[in-house]
Amino acid sequence: MKKLLYKEFKLCMHPLVFFFSLSALMFLIPSYVYLVACFFTGNAIFNSMQISNSNSDVLFTALLPISKREAVKSKYLFVAVIQLAMMLVFTAMIFVHHALLTDANKAGLDACPALLGGCFLVYSVFNATFLPFFYKNGYKAERAFLISTIAVFLFIFVFEGFFIAAGAAAGSVPFFAWIENNIDCWPGSSSSLLYQLLFIGAGLLIYFFITLLSYRRSCKLFDEVDI
Amino acid sequence: MNLLSVKSLRKQYPSFLLDDISFDLEPGCIMGFIGRNGAGKTTTMKAMLNLIKRDGGSVFVDGMDFFENESECKQKIGFIMGEFNCYMRSKLKTIADVTKRFYKEWDDSAYKGYLEKFSLDENKKIRELSAGMRVKFALALALSHNAKLLILDEPTSGLDPVSRNELLDVLRSLVEDGTRSVLFSTHIISDLEKCADFIGYIKNGKLFDFTDTESFRNKFMLVSGEQEHLESLKTHLISYKENAFGFSGLIKAEDAGLFSDCRTAPADLESIMVYVEQEEEK
Repeated sequence: MKKLLYKEFKLCMHPLVFFFSLSALMFLIPSYVYLVACFFTGNAIFNSMQISNSNSDVLFTALLPISKREAVKSKYLFVAVIQLAMMLVFTAMIFVHHALLTDANKAGLDACPALLGGCFLVYSVFNATFLPFFYKNGYKAERAFLISTIAVFLFIFVFEGFFIAAGAAAGSVPFFAWIENNIDCWPGSSSSLLYQLLFIGAGLLIYFFITLLSYRRSCKLFDEVDI
Repeated sequence: MNLLSVKSLRKQYPSFLLDDISFDLEPGCIMGFIGRNGAGKTTTMKAMLNLIKRDGGSVFVDGMDFFENESECKQKIGFIMGEFNCYMRSKLKTIADVTKRFYKEWDDSAYKGYLEKFSLDENKKIRELSAGMRVKFALALALSHNAKLLILDEPTSGLDPVSRNELLDVLRSLVEDGTRSVLFSTHIISDLEKCADFIGYIKNGKLFDFTDTESFRNKFMLVSGEQEHLESLKTHLISYKENAFGFSGLIKAEDAGLFSDCRTAPADLESIMVYVEQEEEK
């Protein structure tokens, strides 16, 4: 596993990965659709895949003493490490946001711990689409990214739309009021904190299982690909 | 035990069929894989290494089923496909540093030795190397992990005659101790004359012949004669060319008696391939 990751970071990582990590600064915008920041992680991964393609990475990797399945694993590990590293940056930025800004977010879910659960869900959508579509042929990264971008923005639209609706209808719908008081806010009580941690946990679990399913699907698809 | 055993390898494309490719390669041998462009040489090599999904057949490396033990078998194989065109902006030492981590028997001193032998500067980037130097770098990587089987697809194409000779010397010295083998495809047939023990000739996706180089050569003879003899002997010629003095062509050695009025000479590999391929077009 170590050598696979070493190969990915040494030969395949695009420098834009660092640049796009600055997207976490979006968390400091007073009112914003914060989940959009996750899209830029996908963009950085796409750039790395593109550069890998132009460097015949698929062929080089296939010739190493590993199976095709391990070649796919190599990419999934690379993607997961970048995404999990970004989750740490996002976590830090949520605290910075809380220290600097106090207004509620009118454009979606607040920059609160629950947002991390949302980020896991966005990454799940990205992993469920981008990588299997890429491994369908092993080189059409642009097409895979277009499909994943549509899926990610559709998800963000629905997810953030839900929290905008919750904010607007909190006064009349008790469920939305509960959401506003426990999820879409900085946790003011231990129960609210617990709900938000559960939300993060659920996001993490979904991320884990979706990525695992996506990996299995990609292995199956890549097995059929002629390099 | 054979170092490489390919049995009934098959790959079907919509417009091409690689069919029933079978051959064995013993340790200590160099096998030249010949055939014209598109005959199926690269497809065979790729199917052997699971780079393309085969539709049938099996491959054994050092007695192990390749498709059941892919990683382990690949440890024993050095494979190059022409020049090294990966990671153009990376330095040679970076690529070697990554590659060596995957091989249990990576030999750093052998690698350094090949760098020196091929005059490669490991601080250079791939894109700074000429096509020939890229082939040499691919070779250095393929030769540095103590591979028992080298599979080389067109390794000599981008090399100048001196470098080609150097490479052939390296290949010969590698198989000398009788533990390693080389399978290499080329259309520079003169390279095979110098070093191949066996010839695998692939034609239209089928193995036309697989035998030791001497026997392969001895199966054919070159013939040249006057125009007046051509008409009666035409049917016994594999193929021929007419010229101002008469004709020249290729015959099966067993038919040599029929050509007593003509001049005959031993056939070289290149002539055999050219005439055999012409037979198809005839």
